[in-house]
Amino acid sequence: MGRDPQQAESSHDVLKSKTSVQEILEVAMQFEKTARDFYTDLIPKVSKRIRYLVEELAAEEELHYQQFADLMKHPEIEQQLSQRIATPPSNGKFSDAVHAKDLGEKPDDQSILQYALSREQAAMEQYSALAEEVEPGPIRDLFNFLAMEETEHKNELEKIYYEVVHSGGV
Amino acid sequence: MMKDIKQKFIAPEIRHDAKGSLLNPLKNLQFLARKPVTEPLQPRLASLNYRGFHLNDWEQCVGCASCQKICDNAAISMVEIPNLPNDPVKGIRNHRPAIDYGRCCWCALCVDICPTGSISMSREYVHTCDQQHIDSYFILPDPTGMHQQYFGEGWHKTEDSDLLDLERKDMQELKPEERDDNFHEIVDGFTPEQAVLEASRCVQCGMCHDSCPTHMNAPEYIRAIWQGDCEEAVRQIYRTNPFAHVCGRVCTKRCESACSIGIRGEPIAIRWLKRFAMDALPHERIIEIASEHKSATANGKSVAIIGAGPAGMTAAFDLIRAGFKVDVFEALPEAGGMTHYGIPDYRLPPDILQQDIDVIASLGVTLHYNTRIGVDKTIDELQKKFDAVIMAIGLQQGRQTRIPKSDHHHVYRAVDLLRKISAGEDFEVPAAAVVIGGGNVAMDIARSLARLQKQQYGEVKITVTALEQRQHFMADPEEIREAIEEGIIIRDSCGPQGCEIDGSGKLTGLKTWKVISIFDENHRFSPQYDETDETIHCCDAVIEAIGQFADTSLLGENLTEQLEWNRGRLQVDADGRTSLPWLWSAGDCVNGPDVVHAVADGHRVAGSIQQQLIGQAGQETPNG
Repeated sequence: MGRDPQQAESSHDVLKSKTSVQEILEVAMQFEKTARDFYTDLIPKVSKRIRYLVEELAAEEELHYQQFADLMKHPEIEQQLSQRIATPPSNGKFSDAVHAKDLGEKPDDQSILQYALSREQAAMEQYSALAEEVEPGPIRDLFNFLAMEETEHKNELEKIYYEVVHSGGV
Repeated sequence: MMKDIKQKFIAPEIRHDAKGSLLNPLKNLQFLARKPVTEPLQPRLASLNYRGFHLNDWEQCVGCASCQKICDNAAISMVEIPNLPNDPVKGIRNHRPAIDYGRCCWCALCVDICPTGSISMSREYVHTCDQQHIDSYFILPDPTGMHQQYFGEGWHKTEDSDLLDLERKDMQELKPEERDDNFHEIVDGFTPEQAVLEASRCVQCGMCHDSCPTHMNAPEYIRAIWQGDCEEAVRQIYRTNPFAHVCGRVCTKRCESACSIGIRGEPIAIRWLKRFAMDALPHERIIEIASEHKSATANGKSVAIIGAGPAGMTAAFDLIRAGFKVDVFEALPEAGGMTHYGIPDYRLPPDILQQDIDVIASLGVTLHYNTRIGVDKTIDELQKKFDAVIMAIGLQQGRQTRIPKSDHHHVYRAVDLLRKISAGEDFEVPAAAVVIGGGNVAMDIARSLARLQKQQYGEVKITVTALEQRQHFMADPEEIREAIEEGIIIRDSCGPQGCEIDGSGKLTGLKTWKVISIFDENHRFSPQYDETDETIHCCDAVIEAIGQFADTSLLGENLTEQLEWNRGRLQVDADGRTSLPWLWSAGDCVNGPDVVHAVADGHRVAGSIQQQLIGQAGQETPNG
């Protein structure tokens, strides 16, 4: 999971200062954990009518955290990365045209999804930029892998966004 | 299947020149001492038009039972075949005709009436059996024939023998130039002569009944129209639908999609026939018919209904007839919900809608207009005062795209504008507008604005943009066709990217990218754009018609917490019960998507309330 777009610059610096695959993955895991905790904290604050959405987002972040943790334990992590980045997902770009939104006090379902989309978008862009900035090798592969993961997360959120927003009465 | 079999068919050779020997009769003496046996006769082909045993191509047959209904000898039974597809919405039943040759007179009316042309008769006519196999005269015809050996098709459907009339009767409607600057109703409706002729096309198969969400008795009311008895037609209509005028005009008519006549021709105009019957009777007589079988005594129970749309008013209709005290609370000044505040007058004139409302109100339902629950009264008050509460609030709020710069004050939601137009409120009519969305709401607002533009500016400047290709628009094809006739431009496969604002803060257009595809291989949303194919649609207003949702704030925070929800909508069971024992919900806010579904929903909750409060099943309901 990405992070709050406002914090993107500082996280970029943190990631760039790391020099090993393990260190970068640890930071990426921390981002996922932060996102999971953010949504978990948000659950009781939103109307029960749309709580399912925030619960699903928290569960999704937990899943990402676990996936990264499993990857870090893999004995042939570098080989894994190069295999996974061989087939990048396409970026649908649907949410490029959806405003990033502050959640405010009483967010509705669309605002929550907009916020989640903007976080994924920011993370995807940041990992892609970092991949461009480093020399070819395992670190670049890792950033590309992370960018791909965020793209897939974003694509999945776009599907939910469409099902929630583009429905009813038409 | 039948085609394959026909191609493989080789007729057995018949030797007409065989003469035999004079001694042959003597040879037969050798058989005198033998035990007699019955041997099947060698089949011989009959003439090309022979009415032999039945053949039925199961892939063509839809199980409509027209053959059974026309058979005067009651020789045909419909047999359920569990493994076959059964989809009432598509007009397919998993039934196939079985023939009892103890009754059949080989008249072939079953062939002549068959809407699909699946039944024919073979050139085979010999079947013998011993007593043990006497049931073999009762067969389930398939394409292979009586003895699983195809001997060729005899009598079959031809243009001359076909009993069906495949073409609809014409009906007058306003031409584009007669309607594009006004809100006059477009369709004239059938004349009595046209209605009888159209009704005479119906084969009474009942596919329409099966596919209708509220299971209207369409075959019965069509027959009554054909017999010239509109009172009986209205009586049949009111058995399941108190929004009869409305559904006679704007129903999504799933009945017609399932109509068996539509397989080879134009389906029966069931919606227009319903409209004809309703328009044919004086309003006072309709009120009398609707009140037939109304309970003469009150049962002492009371129900509050929030929302006077089709679901709420249908429930009110059923409950008042069953002896309940019914109060309907409507936030707006008029009843009808989206049928009043969403559907333009040229499709549904308000006085016509009002007749349906008036029939229901005349039975004793108390309507409280301009009473917004959550503001003017709390739902807690309703709970305390009534034995049950039904929430039927519809989908009254429009979704927004929230694309960049769409927070401009000239970006509107379609439902808001439609509400203003219906209520006769003044607003600034844009000289050029772009609508986002490909559904019926998008068409409704586009066509309404086009009329207002024509009145005010003398020309139409409306563009409808949607993500989908035109053939996949949610809107009815006839709505799209009529919109184009009225000068509206349709731009399909356009993904909105943002509104264009000039230096002075004026909205000048909508930017879109070409959509290459929308869904992935699993049919889930995954749009792909061609960013190089960008279009700026010039306009001074953008109208969003992408989706709607229910504003459930009337429940308050405590009740919202107590209730169970299902992905943003109130969780209800099949009977419309929420997780609280006193609260039901019906209509678009929990199900959707149209008037006739809301009517069906209204019946369901009314039946459930009757069952719970007085221990009786409802009167006639969609399931009963």
